Amino acid sequence: MNSSQRMAAKRYALAYDETSPSLAQAQARAQELFSAVQILAGVSVPMQSPRISSVHKKLIINETLRDWPHAAAFINVLIDAKRYHLLPEICKWVDQLLDDRRGISRAVVTSAKGLSQAQQEAARKALSARYGKTVEAVFKTDPALLGGLKITCNGELIDGSIAHRLEKLQEEITK
Amino acid sequence: MAIRPEEITSIIKEKIEKFDSSIDVSEVGTVIQVGDGIARVYGLNNVKASELVDFGHGVKGMALNLEYDNVGCVLMGPDHLVQEGDVVKRTGEVISIPVGAGMIGRVVDPLGNPLDGKGAIKTDKNMPLDIVAPGIIDRQPVKQPLQTGLKAIDAMVPIGKGQRELIIGDRQTGKTAIAIDTIINQKNIPENERCICIYVAVGQKQSTVAQVVKTLSDFGAMEYTIVVSATASDPASLLYIAPYAGCAIGEYFMWQGKDVLIVYDDLSKHAQAYRQMSLLLRRPPGREAYPGDVFYLHSRLLERACKLSKENGGGSLTALPIIETQANDVSAYIPTNVISITDGQIYLESSLFLSGIKPAINVGLSVSRVGGSAQRKTVRKIAGTLRIDLSQYQELAGFAQFGSELDKESQRQIARGKRMTELLKQNQYAPLKVGEEVLVLYAGTHGYLDEIEVTDVLRYEKELLAYARAQKQDVLDVLNQASELNKEVEEKITSVLDAFKTVFKPA
Repeated sequence: MNSSQRMAAKRYALAYDETSPSLAQAQARAQELFSAVQILAGVSVPMQSPRISSVHKKLIINETLRDWPHAAAFINVLIDAKRYHLLPEICKWVDQLLDDRRGISRAVVTSAKGLSQAQQEAARKALSARYGKTVEAVFKTDPALLGGLKITCNGELIDGSIAHRLEKLQEEITK
Repeated sequence: MAIRPEEITSIIKEKIEKFDSSIDVSEVGTVIQVGDGIARVYGLNNVKASELVDFGHGVKGMALNLEYDNVGCVLMGPDHLVQEGDVVKRTGEVISIPVGAGMIGRVVDPLGNPLDGKGAIKTDKNMPLDIVAPGIIDRQPVKQPLQTGLKAIDAMVPIGKGQRELIIGDRQTGKTAIAIDTIINQKNIPENERCICIYVAVGQKQSTVAQVVKTLSDFGAMEYTIVVSATASDPASLLYIAPYAGCAIGEYFMWQGKDVLIVYDDLSKHAQAYRQMSLLLRRPPGREAYPGDVFYLHSRLLERACKLSKENGGGSLTALPIIETQANDVSAYIPTNVISITDGQIYLESSLFLSGIKPAINVGLSVSRVGGSAQRKTVRKIAGTLRIDLSQYQELAGFAQFGSELDKESQRQIARGKRMTELLKQNQYAPLKVGEEVLVLYAGTHGYLDEIEVTDVLRYEKELLAYARAQKQDVLDVLNQASELNKEVEEKITSVLDAFKTVFKPA
């Protein structure tokens, strides 16, 4: 996906998000879109095929997504603009915009061994305090870290792992 | 030197004790596209223009395009080590180079890493590559001469310390030769007046750079020279920063009150490297597909050549940029740009070169806009009108080819012109001291050659110099030092020339 496609995806996502005035509505509509994408996953190839006319594509959409008129309308717009293939990228941006509305940051916390509930909670709290937002963290394990934590959040990398410190020490000594 | 194990252990111990083990927090982004020495990075929201970023695997990059949803970076190393999805870290630093006296005599790449296999370089300071040139108050006018050791240049297009004199010409016309001769000539100059020389090779063949380094070493010129090399096989980003790196090294010495001579060989390839980067970064192309800021690329570099005021130590940085033209076309984009930025140009022509006039300087088109006031008074008095006389001669000679009859004055002018042209020829790697130049030029401009056959002129010069060096070294010493051509000095010159007249045997 090139830069202009990414930019287009972001614009569509922004427009979709802005159609919902309240947070609750935005959440509901985002959920609608995600479910719609899940349902349509099986037909993504025919939906992008030039051999099927857009009229037929829209018929399929309107029939399948009868209960979610908002999502259906949005996907119709995408079909008209020949941007259906951007749907997965748009979903990512919609999710991100929803997070912004809710004041949530996502974090990935990697540790050498699994963390206990209390440790996870402590990490979440510390990150929330650091960024002034509610942080929703995903916890992963990677034995190669040897110890310590490696956290990615808000475009920052906080690396306190033993492996990284050893690397730094190696750099320092071989300099 | 014997290795002392306890010393190494202690160094390691010290390093471990001093090691900062605090947690690293860095702003990061993700590589979304990489290729052709360019990477596009998602994230790095607060990155600044020209900031150095770290791609890992020992590859650094420079953030050049800050766009709506990504950052365009040029890579300073091999791009095959960087992959899509790699984490990119901000460093918060701009690109810089180690500088110091330890650099002298070394061959380095534009990041300051040694290329000559002589081990690590000990320096105490880092200087940013791209800084703003000293302002008006920091400077003083250019008024000291920089001797190139080439008769034709010192007499007709004199260069002053702190000047920017362009050397321009087609391939194979002796552009590099002039620069190298000027560097070698610094050996002839007393150490306190000698320039520290920096030769920046941009986009040249490795073999050419090796040859230059060997020549400089053979003539003992590496003692005061630094070579910064970014060869044709290096990434365009390194070619782009090479002149700035050389300039930063030079500026360090300049601010210490020393005189520095820097040769950028050549800026056409520099502009091409920048064009490559700009097009790959999808910046809009302009004339000859160069980006819109290619003038600024060179002007900000050459503006850094200067003569500092006394309060600032009086150091200087003289720049000799080189431009290669295609088919003698000086009206192409880059040549006109650099001509307009510099304080004059030495224009070399392939037709002159092929007809045996070396250095192949086109007298009519070469000019030094500030050098006149920086020319040595002795040389100036002798060769003051030489440039105009010679260009008049060339015009007349062209006219005389039609076989028309000429008056006596014109015939005299042609005869003198022929001899002077012959006299200004000079072999490569044979720069002359000021005194020798004065003696030879005096002989030419004061009619000592008029009775000598044109074919004998070079022999006359050779034998005159040999004679003076062997028997009249005292006069040469006086001429080397003389600040003015007064009667006394003139008498000394004529005595040598008259004495030589009796020794010289025409063919």
